[in-house]
Amino acid sequence: MAEPMGFFTDTSVCIGCKACETACKAWNQLPAKEGGHPPMSGDSYDNTVRLSGEDWRHVKFIEQFSEDRSAGRWLMMSDVCKHCVNAPCLEVCPTGAIIRTEFDTVVIQTDACNGCRLCITACPFGVIDVNPVSKTAEKCTLCYDRLQVGMQPACAQACPTASIQFGPIAQLKATATARLSQLQAQGEKQASLYGADDKMLGGLNSFYLLLDEPGVYGLPVDPKMPTRNLFWGSVSSVAAAVVLGVVGLFGFRERRAVDESDADA
Amino acid sequence: MAECHPVAFRWVMKAKLKGAKIIHADPRFTRTTAMADVYAPLRAGSDIAFLGGLIRYVLHDERWKSDSFFQDYLVNYTNASTLVDPGFQDTEDLDGEFSGLMDYTGGKPEWPLNGFIGEYERASWGYQREGTAPGKPASGDTTTAFDALIRGLSQSPVRKDPTLEDPRCVFQIVKRHFDRYTPAMVADVTGCAVDTFVKVAQTVLSNSGRDRTTAWAYAVGWTQHTYGPQMIGCCALLQLLLGNIGRPGGGVIALRGHVSIQGSTDIPTLYDNIHGYMVAPSTLKSHATLRDYLKAEAKPTGAWSDMPKFMVSYLKSMYGDAATAANDFGYGWHPRIAGDHSHLPMFVAMAEGRVKGMICVGQNPATSVNASLERTGLRKLEWLVVKDNFLTETATYWNRAPEIANGSIAPADIATEVFFFPSAQVAETEGSFTNTQRLLQWHFKAAQPPADCRSDLWFTYQLGVRLKRLYAGSTETRDEGFQRLTWNFDPDDPATAVVGEPDPRKLLREINGYHSASPLRHLEAASELRDDGSTTCASWIYCGVFPAPDRNLAARKTPDQKGVTGAHLEWGWAWPANRRVLYNRASADLQGKPWSERKRWVWWDGGKWAGHDVPDFPRHKSPDAPADPRASGTDALSGSSPFTLKADGVGWLFVPEGLVDGPLPTHYEPAESPVRNPLYARQTSPVLKYWKREDNLLAAPGDPRFPHVITTYRLTEHYVGGGMSRWSPWLSALQPELFIEMSPELADAHGIVNTGWVRISTPRGSIRAKALVTRRLRPFRIAGKVVHQVGMPWHWGWEGVVTGDVVNNLTALVGDPNVSIHEAKAFVCNVEKG
Amino acid sequence: MKAMPMPDTFFTASPHWGWLIVFYFFIGGIAGAAFFLSALLHLFGRAADRPVVRTGYLVALSGVIVSAILLVVDLSRPLRFWHMLIQSNTGWPMFKAWSPMSVGSWAFALFGVFTALAALGAWAEIRAPASPLRRLANGLPGKAIAVLGGSSGVFVAGYTGVMLSVTNRPLWGDSSVLGGLFLSSAASGAAAVLVLATTWRGRRDATSLEWLQRVDRGALMLKGVLLVAVVVSLGAAAQVLVGIWGVALAAVLIGGVLVPLLMRRGRWSIPERPMMVASALLVLAGGFLLRVVVIFSSESVYVMGAGVHGP
Ligand SMILES: Nc1nc2c(c(=O)[nH]1)N[C@H]1C(S)=C(S)[C@@H](COP(=O)(O)OP(=O)(O)OC[C@H]3O[C@@H](n4cnc5c(=O)[nH]c(N)nc54)[C@H](O)[C@@H]3O)O[C@H]1N2
Ligand SMILES: Nc1nc2c(c(=O)[nH]1)N[C@H]1C(S)=C(S)[C@@H](COP(=O)(O)OP(=O)(O)OC[C@H]3O[C@@H](n4cnc5c(=O)[nH]c(N)nc54)[C@H](O)[C@@H]3O)O[C@H]1N2
Ligand code: SF4
Ligand code: SF4
Ligand code: SF4
Ligand code: SF4
Ligand code: SF4
Ligand SMILES: [Mo]
Repeated sequence: MAEPMGFFTDTSVCIGCKACETACKAWNQLPAKEGGHPPMSGDSYDNTVRLSGEDWRHVKFIEQFSEDRSAGRWLMMSDVCKHCVNAPCLEVCPTGAIIRTEFDTVVIQTDACNGCRLCITACPFGVIDVNPVSKTAEKCTLCYDRLQVGMQPACAQACPTASIQFGPIAQLKATATARLSQLQAQGEKQASLYGADDKMLGGLNSFYLLLDEPGVYGLPVDPKMPTRNLFWGSVSSVAAAVVLGVVGLFGFRERRAVDESDADA
Repeated sequence: MAECHPVAFRWVMKAKLKGAKIIHADPRFTRTTAMADVYAPLRAGSDIAFLGGLIRYVLHDERWKSDSFFQDYLVNYTNASTLVDPGFQDTEDLDGEFSGLMDYTGGKPEWPLNGFIGEYERASWGYQREGTAPGKPASGDTTTAFDALIRGLSQSPVRKDPTLEDPRCVFQIVKRHFDRYTPAMVADVTGCAVDTFVKVAQTVLSNSGRDRTTAWAYAVGWTQHTYGPQMIGCCALLQLLLGNIGRPGGGVIALRGHVSIQGSTDIPTLYDNIHGYMVAPSTLKSHATLRDYLKAEAKPTGAWSDMPKFMVSYLKSMYGDAATAANDFGYGWHPRIAGDHSHLPMFVAMAEGRVKGMICVGQNPATSVNASLERTGLRKLEWLVVKDNFLTETATYWNRAPEIANGSIAPADIATEVFFFPSAQVAETEGSFTNTQRLLQWHFKAAQPPADCRSDLWFTYQLGVRLKRLYAGSTETRDEGFQRLTWNFDPDDPATAVVGEPDPRKLLREINGYHSASPLRHLEAASELRDDGSTTCASWIYCGVFPAPDRNLAARKTPDQKGVTGAHLEWGWAWPANRRVLYNRASADLQGKPWSERKRWVWWDGGKWAGHDVPDFPRHKSPDAPADPRASGTDALSGSSPFTLKADGVGWLFVPEGLVDGPLPTHYEPAESPVRNPLYARQTSPVLKYWKREDNLLAAPGDPRFPHVITTYRLTEHYVGGGMSRWSPWLSALQPELFIEMSPELADAHGIVNTGWVRISTPRGSIRAKALVTRRLRPFRIAGKVVHQVGMPWHWGWEGVVTGDVVNNLTALVGDPNVSIHEAKAFVCNVEKG
Repeated sequence: MKAMPMPDTFFTASPHWGWLIVFYFFIGGIAGAAFFLSALLHLFGRAADRPVVRTGYLVALSGVIVSAILLVVDLSRPLRFWHMLIQSNTGWPMFKAWSPMSVGSWAFALFGVFTALAALGAWAEIRAPASPLRRLANGLPGKAIAVLGGSSGVFVAGYTGVMLSVTNRPLWGDSSVLGGLFLSSAASGAAAVLVLATTWRGRRDATSLEWLQRVDRGALMLKGVLLVAVVVSLGAAAQVLVGIWGVALAAVLIGGVLVPLLMRRGRWSIPERPMMVASALLVLAGGFLLRVVVIFSSESVYVMGAGVHGP
């Protein structure tokens, strides 16, 4: 296996230019949303609205202003598949379409996927959706095709401010830690890394530097593996089945008892 | 900058990662603001008040007054000590006007469209001079033909007061001029809170000096005003006071527009320039002969004293062997202007039926400023050629424009014959770009243009070839220019190219220049130019980019080594002379030593100037060389005069010549404003340009029907008229609909909700857009009253994947008197739900 | 400037599981449970229960067929339905023990086989009393199929809930009791279907009906308890139920559980038969509405989650 590769996205220098979004579309030849003329969302400068099977990158815009404008921020963040080390989508996929590559990234094999859409429900970040052309589940491949020939992902290459940094995970983590301490020294007390350690799903191979709570960016605080519910879910089912079986068997006994008393009478 | 120059903003972000402080001044909280450390919100059109406030703040600052860096720079590198003509009267004396204001008298009967509402007689704005002119040199180099002419231009030396105490010296005039720009006044005019303003001032001051520099970047938020050039001048004045010019990390940085827009002013599409920023010969000036022209335009001292060499080499490039000393190098064949032929008056003339035809290459005037007026103009043309990648609004103004769609005009009533030439895209062409830092970079062709799409170079070249053929047999003298024009850029190997495509390298060679007698001997530097016809060079500023037939320096791609300080001199080629920072002599002190180790850039190493960059100074002129008042050219300047393009070698705080609307920046209100000018009795610039027509009316100051300030701007997601974005579904989806940004306060007042429809009107027109209600916009308190600011991107039209109303139906043809830039950045409007 | 705290599941995307899945959950559940109940009657009941046993097997088969169609059509690439069982690129079997959908697919496939066999036996019992098939059906092989089909049936009836729990979607992933809930609901639904089928054919199977009623009562009580357990287990995610979905769920509890239970008390002046039919219909409606609520309430969060922005 090659070295684990991924993204460090420093949202503090993201200018919301959407070059990443567009580069991804161009490289992967993804269809334009609603033929290129969706209605204006009214949600700041975001008209893509969410990650989906045709938008594998999505730049979020979060306006935070106090009523008198004495405090104000406009946060931007380029969202993408997190390429989780323990990937919930991969875990549940019933066809084996989702694989882990030699770069420790998570890829959906379009030709294997049958569109059951279970992976959509499993991804804690709302990354996956069905692509209207292939009609299969699609998401960022971390440019597997480019990585295989030694190129960097299209989005990272297009990013003018190096908000998206691509590289070996170990190296990115060092960069991220340094940037975090710089920001904190500059008084950005709320700044934090998201997914940079292995506590979150074993680590996110696309991790972030955020300037506010994860929830503000639409990110879960504590994303979990879907199988966390497998044990108790099964127990509840089995228990219910046992109860029903017992009820049924007791039903026979009661029926017999009633019959006998009927006969007695 | 983040919105419109995202790739250049990369460097701002790099600086930010290194701890640089970023300040953003804008009426709206934008993507740039999001990255800034300090945000100064201000009402559109009020920046001179803001900058003036900074100038006053600096002049009163204790550190500034006592730091030898600032004072040495001020006294030696600027014209602070120069005395101004006793006849000069400032806006302080005349309540908002300078001395010399009068009615406009210029212009020619055949072109009455200059648009001036007034004019300054500018004699009183000059310097005071010593009584006697310097004696003509006894002997000297008389080998060149125009030497005597240049020497004859020399004036007596200017009078100076190095103590800066004389009340007529520039410094004292500047001080008096800006004294009323107090922080409170700044707040009153701009709407920016006093403490924010002071924070900006302190940040700029603490980041200027020996060890630190501050750079200012601007684009059309500053230029598109009736006082646009004054805005930039005001910033330059501030930067000179702070010693931030000619030093690394300093400067006033123009962020230019279209991809090679710098190139298109260097090799000008401007009507009043010829190559290399030489003034276009004009019937309005004493330009009858080449000598007259040079007498009027060349300078006896400084780099412009070489103008005869530039001009003669240029004429040789135009007319080749036909240009000889005997026929004034063909000067008489050169076209002359007869007034303001820029975009705005051109369209007024069109609307008056005075223009027969137009070739429109890569422009979309049907959606441009006062678009309905411009479309009126288009309808009056006999013929129109549109050369574009798509059928833009300008190509379909006759069958799909709003006035056609609503039935008020029928296509049958439009007599214009419209031709459409499909254009090759950038990746299908080869050539050079000149970017905003004057850097030429070569780009190669990635694909052949499809079908009958042709490059603009092909079109222009073939047009020339055909026109030459058309006029070949003419006996009219006026056609001689065409007949004599040298016009052969055919590739040596015609088989390899699109049929008829000229060789772009041959064009670059023509621009670079060569020895007239042996064209394969290219010129290596502008210093080789001669005024006797022995050199041929289309543009002196580009001389050196192609020093040998096999050395196209624009195509270089070698960056400096990592970790080594340098100017990447092996990457592309920057004019002039591959110099990256202009006037960089100013990065060293009077003795030629860097002002500080941290900011070293160019220095005197004992025998010559050296450094990270190509020094912008005569190579071997020592820092202590005195000025020679009897010499011409740069020899007349001392070893401590960094501004060699200026006749006096120093940076101008006070601008004695070149600007027609005043030697000092002064706050005027935009042509349309909801308030009276809080600073002067004079409301607007007395010399702005305005074309009065029924379809170009202006709202009176404070007109209650149009109470809000509106500005127009760009989105990262789209490109100007939309030709390069609204036809792309990917980009269209990112910003699909036209919107108006407004504060919740204003929206609430009108019952407007987010994404609801709004009607916006001005005296020129009325359009609809969706509301984007956001706290990124805010109401301002101006001159005691609440003024709402709204803003609209203007990329939409009726063609393309996404369409929307034409915002420029709202704007007016009103412009600045120096360069005729329009005022699309600040005007007034009304908004209603609907 | 603080955003409203959101349960982690609220940041996920919708799988666009709609009516097809609601119907599958409903019908597939009934099919599985119907087989389960029939198998119980088959194994432990009397000869008089045979008609109901046969009805149950036939109900199960119809349910399986409809479910299979629903499941395949719901795939956005239906022709690749077999990728659930066979790895498309290696040809080896596809099985993930920890993925309820994978296990469920196998269970469903096996269940389909057993229902087909059981239904064949049932068919033989009526139409070909003399055939050896009939003997097989009534003999040990029939019993074996009842055991295997019953267990895979109960699996099919319950795994759907577990599958929902093993996601990160709002409500689904916020509770691990959904499996039990779905199973008990499927059992009560299956009992109701069998009751309806039996009453529809007259009162000949009173003894089976009686047993069904008992089972139904037990299943309904279990369902009621688990419904409450689910809501309690949701925690902060219970905000999904604020509004229309909460009302609908209350309707399920009252109309689909409590009222039918009360109707069984038998001290009503209404004749028993209409009462039984009404109660069965209410149970079925409640079971259906339960799935509608579970699917669509979760779905509705997607819209809420899209614009997760600070004030
Ligand atoms: N994505 C994209 N990039 C572009 C272009 C494009 O269309 N799209 N166009 C190119 C071209 S042709 C050009 S000229 C450049 C222009 O580049 P910019 O000048 O950056 O472009 P604008 O968006 O027109 O204006 C910039 C800002 O000026 C602000 N502004 C308006 N009035 C005032 C004022 O009075 N004072 C101050 N301080 N600010 C004011 C606006 O709110 C806006 O945020 O961009 C080039 N780059
Ligand atoms: N209200 C308002 N109005 C403004 C401004 C503003 O800020 N506010 N800004 C002003 C400014 S700064 C500018 S620069 C102008 C721009 O206004 P225009 O120049 O009128 O508009 P563009 O959309 O840039 O037109 C360029 C056209 O060139 C085409 N094109 C692209 N590449 C090529 C090529 O290689 N060859 C040819 N032949 N065509 C090509 C594109 O498809 C496009 O249609 O607008 C001005 N108008
Ligand atoms: S972020 Fe979602 S889609 Fe990406 S690997 Fe993790 S679970 Fe899968
Ligand atoms: S939709 Fe495709 S990738 Fe996702 S779980 Fe189903 S088969 Fe796997
Ligand atoms: S890595 Fe490739 S696929 Fe993923 S977002 Fe970037 S460009 Fe798109
Ligand atoms: S390209 Fe970079 S700066 Fe631009 S939106 Fe994407 S992440 Fe942000
Ligand atoms: S569009 Fe081209 S010129 Fe403009 S910022 Fe992007 S790369 Fe630079
Ligand atoms: Mo521009």
